[in-house]
Amino acid sequence: MGKVIVVTSGKGGVGKTTSAANLGTALALLGKSVVLVDADVGLRNLDIVMGLESRVVYTSMDVIEKECELNKALVRDRRVNGLMLLAASQKNNKDDMQPEHMKAICDNLRTTYDFILVDSPAGIERGFRNASAGADEAIVVTTPDVSAIRDADRIIGLLQNAEIEPINLVINRFSPQLVGNGSMMDQADVLDILNIDLIGVVPEDSGVITSTNRGIPLVYEDGSPGAQAYMRIARRLTGQRIPIPDLEQKGLFSSLLNWFTKNR
Amino acid sequence: MVPNSTMVNSTVVLRAYKDGLHLIIKPHLSIAEVEVAIQQEISRMNRSLAGATVQIDLKSPTLNDEEIDYLRSKLRENYDLIVRGVDLGDDSASPPIAAAPTTHTISQRADVPSTREGEPSRVVPYTIRSGQIEEFPQGSLIIYGDVNSGGEVRAGGDIVVLGTLRGSARAGTNGRLSAVIIAMDFAPLQLQIGNCVNRSTANQESRGYPEIARIGEENVIIIEKFVKF
Repeated sequence: MGKVIVVTSGKGGVGKTTSAANLGTALALLGKSVVLVDADVGLRNLDIVMGLESRVVYTSMDVIEKECELNKALVRDRRVNGLMLLAASQKNNKDDMQPEHMKAICDNLRTTYDFILVDSPAGIERGFRNASAGADEAIVVTTPDVSAIRDADRIIGLLQNAEIEPINLVINRFSPQLVGNGSMMDQADVLDILNIDLIGVVPEDSGVITSTNRGIPLVYEDGSPGAQAYMRIARRLTGQRIPIPDLEQKGLFSSLLNWFTKNR
Repeated sequence: MVPNSTMVNSTVVLRAYKDGLHLIIKPHLSIAEVEVAIQQEISRMNRSLAGATVQIDLKSPTLNDEEIDYLRSKLRENYDLIVRGVDLGDDSASPPIAAAPTTHTISQRADVPSTREGEPSRVVPYTIRSGQIEEFPQGSLIIYGDVNSGGEVRAGGDIVVLGTLRGSARAGTNGRLSAVIIAMDFAPLQLQIGNCVNRSTANQESRGYPEIARIGEENVIIIEKFVKF
């Protein structure tokens, strides 16, 4: 039986779709069978990030309306074996889908695939409820800024109410430089507020923009720090124990300064 | 503006003062408007008010005796509320519903519990996250966790947060002005004790030691290092 994991955040633009695309690809590269489900009905993006937009014929809405079989609606990835995409309909909107529909789709996919990653839309309304309906686990993506964290906090509360467990945190667009000069929250601050398990920290990486535009997920660029971070998260999802490297390269001086200010 | 939930509907406001509940009705309203507003205001309360007594405060005598009698019977019939008195609001003692910029207080009224003795308390064994509200009008709340930004705790009596208070805390909603708010780490967005609302000294950075907020001289909320009760 496969695992259904919803990738969500509350706030928009923090990297849900990028994370879903990269984690799905990374899991497939590790030999797992994976389906990426785009739950952003009406504003679909995952097909573009995966570079599969020209191959989408059927969408999850066609499956729900019994226009086609679920298997027929899955788009095979052109780069890695075992990776499938279930696209969202662009012409419908979120109210056309019910949480039960998504749950049925997830339960069906679970019998065949190892991982089903559901890319949730931003917000806490219908789109989020649809996306999380069939989920066993959740990955909450946040950036280290107060507004994204407050929204992530809200989403975590809703996921806990829905008894989705475990909820793992990805801190995205993390900038060691900004943390170093004190203008960005560090990992400890974020975890102190959200109080859930951290599964990975993805550093700010301008390669994300080019990879999105080219439709090739970042994980294919071996040397990129973002790619390495996503590969590590994927390994952790498969149950491997890999320590989270400390991206905050503090010098001796700033460590001392930090120590003094915290103990003042 | 006092960012108080009771300001949502300003034509009729239900408030707890030292001597109990007050139903404050703005002037220049028809009896029909008042009825609708009362219905809205009472439906916002998520607890039953059955059997409570209420004082009607009119800002000016715009409703006549007949209409007041009608209200009295309606409150009794529909909400099981007993009217214990009517203040016709002759301008000498206008009821306090106006808002002050940062700290707003009301005149204190008599016979409200002045100590926490006999007050029940409730333990909340989890963190209050953004968008969540934890309410215990009967007494004090003890939170085994944090209150995050965007979250809110409301208690009739004291509030004790055995973690970091980053959201809003409203203590003493039953009118007990000796109510306090204690947190191991104190960085709230907003504090309210009784009807004193405080934003200016709130919004502070955590100082790394437990702190207590209470009403001090001149009805201003003060925050200081917490040593003991």
